[in-house]
Amino acid sequence: MSQTAEIGSSADRVALSKLFAAFLKVSIWGFGGGLVWARRVVVEQSRWMSEQEFAETLTLCQLMPGPNIAGVAVCVGAKLRGAIGTISAVAGFILVPWAVGLSLGTLVLQHAQVAVLQNILSGVSAAAAGLLIATGIRLLRPHCARPAALLFAGLAFAGMAFVKLPLLIVLLGLAPLSIGATAAGAIRP
Amino acid sequence: MTNILSPPTLLAAHLAVLSSISFGGFPTVLPDVHDFVTGNGWLTDREFADVFAVSQVVPGPNLILMMSFIGLKVGGIAGAITSAFATFGPPCAMYYASYRLWDRYRDRPWQRIVRRALAPLTIGLVIAGGYVMARATDVGWPSLAITAVAVVLILRTRANPLWILIAGGALGGLGFR
Repeated sequence: MSQTAEIGSSADRVALSKLFAAFLKVSIWGFGGGLVWARRVVVEQSRWMSEQEFAETLTLCQLMPGPNIAGVAVCVGAKLRGAIGTISAVAGFILVPWAVGLSLGTLVLQHAQVAVLQNILSGVSAAAAGLLIATGIRLLRPHCARPAALLFAGLAFAGMAFVKLPLLIVLLGLAPLSIGATAAGAIRP
Repeated sequence: MTNILSPPTLLAAHLAVLSSISFGGFPTVLPDVHDFVTGNGWLTDREFADVFAVSQVVPGPNLILMMSFIGLKVGGIAGAITSAFATFGPPCAMYYASYRLWDRYRDRPWQRIVRRALAPLTIGLVIAGGYVMARATDVGWPSLAITAVAVVLILRTRANPLWILIAGGALGGLGFR
């Protein structure tokens, strides 16, 4: 790789249609939560962000209210092309899938009581849960060298999964501690 | 109800407020939406549960779709559109503003520390989300097995997640649950 990929320089500017198409894909494939696909498309396929940067962006989005994956679309769009990029990414994420999903869903809702359909739904959810867990584990890999990172990931997991604390409490409680620990680690040589 | 506002307008206003405080994504405010919608007599409990299940399997932005299904019941297609905007509009504006602010200070040392400190928390929460979802759909060891196999396949292979979901649905449909 001789050229340093200077994002924003006109030569390798990402086309708006690419942003639209990428988040259309994230959205359409994103059964049971688009995070799995967002990571796959943004980090693995398009290489618009590193694993680390993706995790950080996701963190920023999770600290904010709203649908987090739409937030990832906003941030990736803003990073690559500014405001117009954001609009393209969010439109790709929402427009077509929304229309398709609304029509399909209305059809399914008329048959929601059918037993086979219920079984299929629970099979899909079980697999989707596995995808989410695996995505989390993959995002954790770059942090494995830092014991403090593993500790705080574990605490956040336990707080939500076992203690069932409200999310805001988990974040407000652990964020200052984690920042303190990281700062202390950074000061010491 | 002595409200001057029509039900679709009321719903959209309520969703706009909720979406602006929905830290950690919209799932955190689902109980509130449930009480508001059933309390007003717009949907029954059963209808609410069905709308939730369907929005999880239909492709697309799940929770925006779920709110649109509710809007559809309350006020037809116009209700669906206003509900969708109320759900994603306010947060997207906030995401944009804060990303810009965040990006401006990217190279400051304090920001690097904050970023490195917060990422593990997010990751823990993602895994917790998967865990809670697995428990919610857990109706026996077969569904746990589906979840476990899905984890291994994603970590060990480059399998397309879509096939894993389809396989899960097929196994469920065949009664493996």
